[in-house]
Amino acid sequence: MTIRFHQSILFKMTLLVLGGTSIVFGIVLFYSYTNSRRIILNEAEKTARNLSLSVARRLEQEFRAVAKVPENLARVLEIRADNSKDRLDSLISLAVESNEEVFGSTVAFEPQVFDPALRSYAPYFYKTDLGLGFEQLAASSYDYFQRDWYYIPKVLRAPIWTEPYFDVGGGEILMATYSVPLFKRESGGKKGKVEGIVTADISLEWLTKRVATVRVARTGFCFIVSGSGKFVTHPRDLFVMQESIFSIAEELHEPDLREIGRAMIRKKSGFVPVDSVMTGGEAFLAFARINSPQWSLAAVFPKDELLEDLAQLHERILILVVIGVTLLLAVSVIVARSIAGPLVRMADATRQVTRGDLDIDLSDIRMNDEVGELARSFTRMTQGLKERDFIRDTFGRYLTREVVNNLLANKDALKLGGEKREITLIMSDLRGFTALTSNMAPEDVISFLNRYLAKMVEIMVSYRGVIDEIIGDGMLAFFGAPEPLPDHPALAVACALKMQAAMDEINTRNEADGLPHLEMGVAVHTGNVVVGNIGSELRTKYGAVGSDVNFTGRMESFTVGGQVLISQATFDKISDIVDVKHTLEVRMKGIPEKVPLYEVIGIRGKYDVRLPEREETDPVALEQAIPILLHRMSAKVTRRTKTAAAHITRLSRAAGVVSLDQPVNQWEDVRIQVLGKDMQPTAGEIYGKIIEVEVADDRYHATVRFTSFSPEVYGLLMKKAFPDMKKA
Amino acid sequence: MSFTASFLGALRVLVVNIAVLDNPSPVILISGTRPNGCPHFGTQVRSRHSRAPLSLLVREGDMRRIILPLTLTFLVLATSAFSDNDELKEVSFLPQWIPQAQFAGYMMALEKGLYERAGLDVDLLEGGPGKNPMAYLLNREATFGTSWLATGIEERALGLPVVCIGQILQRTALMLVADRTRGVTKLQDLAGKKVALWVGPFGLQPTLYLNGKGIHVQNLANYSSIELFLRHGVIATWAMWYNEYHLILNSGFNPDELTVFDLKDSAFDFPEDGLYCLEETYRKDPGMCAAFAAASIKGWLYAFKHKEETLDVVMRYAEAAYTGTNRAHQRWMLSRMEDLILPGGRKQTAGKLDLKDYVAVGEALQENRIINEIPPLREFYKGPE
Repeated sequence: MTIRFHQSILFKMTLLVLGGTSIVFGIVLFYSYTNSRRIILNEAEKTARNLSLSVARRLEQEFRAVAKVPENLARVLEIRADNSKDRLDSLISLAVESNEEVFGSTVAFEPQVFDPALRSYAPYFYKTDLGLGFEQLAASSYDYFQRDWYYIPKVLRAPIWTEPYFDVGGGEILMATYSVPLFKRESGGKKGKVEGIVTADISLEWLTKRVATVRVARTGFCFIVSGSGKFVTHPRDLFVMQESIFSIAEELHEPDLREIGRAMIRKKSGFVPVDSVMTGGEAFLAFARINSPQWSLAAVFPKDELLEDLAQLHERILILVVIGVTLLLAVSVIVARSIAGPLVRMADATRQVTRGDLDIDLSDIRMNDEVGELARSFTRMTQGLKERDFIRDTFGRYLTREVVNNLLANKDALKLGGEKREITLIMSDLRGFTALTSNMAPEDVISFLNRYLAKMVEIMVSYRGVIDEIIGDGMLAFFGAPEPLPDHPALAVACALKMQAAMDEINTRNEADGLPHLEMGVAVHTGNVVVGNIGSELRTKYGAVGSDVNFTGRMESFTVGGQVLISQATFDKISDIVDVKHTLEVRMKGIPEKVPLYEVIGIRGKYDVRLPEREETDPVALEQAIPILLHRMSAKVTRRTKTAAAHITRLSRAAGVVSLDQPVNQWEDVRIQVLGKDMQPTAGEIYGKIIEVEVADDRYHATVRFTSFSPEVYGLLMKKAFPDMKKA
Repeated sequence: MSFTASFLGALRVLVVNIAVLDNPSPVILISGTRPNGCPHFGTQVRSRHSRAPLSLLVREGDMRRIILPLTLTFLVLATSAFSDNDELKEVSFLPQWIPQAQFAGYMMALEKGLYERAGLDVDLLEGGPGKNPMAYLLNREATFGTSWLATGIEERALGLPVVCIGQILQRTALMLVADRTRGVTKLQDLAGKKVALWVGPFGLQPTLYLNGKGIHVQNLANYSSIELFLRHGVIATWAMWYNEYHLILNSGFNPDELTVFDLKDSAFDFPEDGLYCLEETYRKDPGMCAAFAAASIKGWLYAFKHKEETLDVVMRYAEAAYTGTNRAHQRWMLSRMEDLILPGGRKQTAGKLDLKDYVAVGEALQENRIINEIPPLREFYKGPE
């Protein structure tokens, strides 16, 4: 399995870190920007409003100062209307000279007012580079009666500030004029008809310079529009007089600008955002009314400039964010790698485990975090698996799953290293089997044996016995190790009885298949033995060693078919629940006194097992003794046997009394061949064990307990012994 | 005109062209067509305050727009300098008002050499308040002049020997504009109120209109501005659709803040600007008069077709006269001129006097006892049929 990049932890973590931090930083930046922007703009609005108001107020004072000049002049003339040309000239020229802001001034009279001979009279004094200039506006080409500066205040009978205009034939500059009507004084101080207009001009160049000194931020500027929106001053000279804010709006197709213009000429003050060619792009425009000429002063704050610092700050923050995110990214890559690397290693290890290879080395993953913990757990797991495998390998074949599971679950109880423990051993053997099978076809031997062993193993496992060894027909099993079983003697005895009881079924099937009848002997002994793993690395088995194992083997050799013999030690443990049929006392090699063995036929209590009643009649005397050959077997195989002629004199189903003239020993294993009429051995054999020897009449009478028969000879014998009885 | 003089004139144009090319600041000297004559309106445009048309600031390529016509002018003049141009007839022409797009056609006829091609050396005089073309004609201060039809008929009926050689504006541009925000919604609201009206011949039609409606107002003289109206010296002002109406709009009034009584919708939809000369002038040289009228009409058609170029020229003339106008205003005016000169876009009636109009105006004058008899059309009108 390969992991594509977009599925990897590296990718996901990277994405998560990148996405997460970007979103967080983005939100923070956005919030910071909009908030700071709001604050800055609020500040800017205050600043702009204050600036425009203060400049407007300052200019207004200057305009009022200018306005005072013709107002005072008019008052003087109204009070003392004397038509001295010189006096008028000196009054006017003084007004111009003594007032810095006043560019020029005139007193223009209505026809025939100054001099009845003159239709018009208007001496005009104005500043020039060379001193005071003079112009008589009454010249024919300059019909001042029609000029706004004259006509409007005359009609309105009130002073006005004119719109800016270029005074052709007068001052020859761009100017605005403050015109004050000169009234004829009537009785009671009432204002009579207008007799003329007194003016003071301001140079727009002067005004422009004046306005230009106002600093508006770094690149902002101020301008003034008249009451009808005409530019009075503007950094772009050519706007002045020609253009109005409305004509610009129309020419540039900027309806918003027109609305701003309308606000400027209608409202006292305001603050508006504007985006116009006129303001050189996006800007804020604060305006304030100059009350005296009813003009509006505007201060233009370029937006870029206002937000420049903010933009710069956030640019820097953005750079820091990018650097931060990059670092975080690097860190996340490192972290992701440190997690993903071990995980990949572990995934590989898992695959290795899947293949059955448990030799995992993750020792290089030395982290102390969860990943390290995982790696260590993984290592522990594989070690556990190894143990489990070992346990299964070691016990699997002989133990029930339950036992194995118990062992695995309760490892403390399991010390594989070897320990001394009290257990109960069972040894079983088929009497005479080896000899019997030497004449059988190999496949018959195997199927015969497997049928037997299958049954026995099943029983042993069901009684939680551990099969130590199966050699041919012999089996060694023990109870109480590795799994501690407190009632191992009872279990073992019950198991032995069950095994013995199962022999009938096996024999029935064997006989049906034409196989020989078999008898099994079982010995049960309880003792302290050493249990543990025995073997090499390549082949290990859990087994038991000790003299008690050998003792059990020897005990077993005293059994005859169908018997379960238990030792004194076992008996002592369960004497209250076992049913003993006989007690034998036997001599054993290496043991000086006689050893008692108990033939058990049943166990009560929890494991309640009982052997079926055997027809154990005493052998009956035969009318005619059956001649036989008695082979005494020192070994299991009859190769080195002593053979003696003998007779069976008494016979039961399970035993016979053999009479012979030579001595035999108790517990000797023997083979019997029945001789025919021609005194030749007939087919078939009987195996047995001498269980008792009596000497009478110089003859030895050995009671032989039969352990196995060839089917034909068994029939023959039974016919002879019980001719009137049907075969059982 | 001597050859030498013509040559010098051509040379001067050349110098001007070079000056313009060398110096992008708008100190523009344009040679007139009378190198030996005194400077006259249109011959010298000088900006002493370094003022340039707004377009110079807001658009690119304007220099080219200026240089090209100048170069063309130079070529035309240079050619004519070496040709026999002694036959050009010297005439002068006084429009009835200050230089503005109202007279763009004549400016363009002059600028584009249309008059010259018609064999005329036209001296375009600067009009304005106090300069009545009819008076100029009678005093022989001008060969041609413009006047409203009603004025023309009136003058003729009063015995002034003037003839109309072309009717340029086919409809009236007169309107009475009142401040709606000050409560004027109908004509009756103006009764007894102060209304600004131009002094002189322009007042005829408004007077007839108000008389016809039975409204009597207090007329106040109006000169060259709308200040009286803006400063509430009057509650309403007479305005030309192409001029004052737009000036009012560009003083911050929105159309819905104005109540407009448009004479186009009345019985007094009199054709306005026409071309006039003395009968004597016409009798002496009817061909010259016809050529002047034809070239003027061509000038108008050219102006409508080349509006930006025309506006450049108009602004130049306006700046030379310090009229204090702006391009937006002149653009409006030129467009309205097109509406009035070519109503419905009809070119075939351009410059022609409609008999019906003549009769209508004449009868209106007669009814109002301004004239006793309507002068015979044949005697009055000598323009294109």
